Amino acid sequence: MKYDKFSKIESIKEIKKYSLPHPETIFIFDFKKQEKEIDKFLKGKKEVSIRSDEKGNPRFCPNIPMCQSPKAKPLIEKINKQGYAVILHDYLPVKKGRIAAGHILILKNHILMELIGSGPVSRLDRQGAVEEIIKFKKSNLAEVEHFGRRLAKVGVFKNVAKLVKNIPCFRVLDFALMEKGVYFYQIQNDKTAKGLRD
Amino acid sequence: MGNKKNIKQKIVLKGITASPGIVRGKVRLIRFPKDILTAKKEEIIITPFLDPDFITLLKKNGQIKGIVTNEGGATCHAAILAREFKIPYIAGAEKATKVFKNNMDIILDGEKGTVYEI
Repeated sequence: MKYDKFSKIESIKEIKKYSLPHPETIFIFDFKKQEKEIDKFLKGKKEVSIRSDEKGNPRFCPNIPMCQSPKAKPLIEKINKQGYAVILHDYLPVKKGRIAAGHILILKNHILMELIGSGPVSRLDRQGAVEEIIKFKKSNLAEVEHFGRRLAKVGVFKNVAKLVKNIPCFRVLDFALMEKGVYFYQIQNDKTAKGLRD
Repeated sequence: MGNKKNIKQKIVLKGITASPGIVRGKVRLIRFPKDILTAKKEEIIITPFLDPDFITLLKKNGQIKGIVTNEGGATCHAAILAREFKIPYIAGAEKATKVFKNNMDIILDGEKGTVYEI
């Protein structure tokens, strides 16, 4: 099996390549062979997130955003048996300890952040529930546009922008800003963004 | 939009640039996803937001000239789709569904995120 064709897994590998902070993650291609690795990962964790990936399927794959650790193994086994590779990572609460989450779009001259406070980021994707938008100029990280209510001081997001300012253009990063730090968990291409005013 | 300069325009609303392009058309207020199928050529649809039900139907109606929504931004699924289909789209125009009335003649400037009444 060529694992490099799994788009979500590749995306996480890319986040690691850019040395961006990310939740602790393991990939499970074969439940039986990796059972010990799974046990080690689950040890001491109350909750985990289970996502999955399929070759050539960038869209819907089974996922359990919040799963209690004792219930995780049978679910991982089931999803794995259905032919999906499993992405197991640390659970990032959508309310407790979270400041904001959302997307960062890298444009040629600017960095655009679209954010929500609490709740799943899918609300932003699917329901358009954007609570704050910030546009930073790449060259000096000055805030050039702002809409909505401030979820945190601008300096906090400026520090996040610093981390991503050298990422290639027209990439969208999914991230969560927690009280304990910032975590990136997905990066995707958005070639359509070339047409946006920059 | 060749004759844009000759038209007297009044800014009605501003929002977020989600898909570029400048178009002129008539307002069509859309409340329910299925109504998208009845949108005609030259119509600019105004709706609270394009959730996945709307998007599925949007793909079936290639006549829509432009989109304005109360909610959303440039990284939402709806915005990416609008850019793919080259449909000018202004998102996050908070009062859009209240300000516009059916059949109003408008210009949607997706570059500036501005809607003008003619």
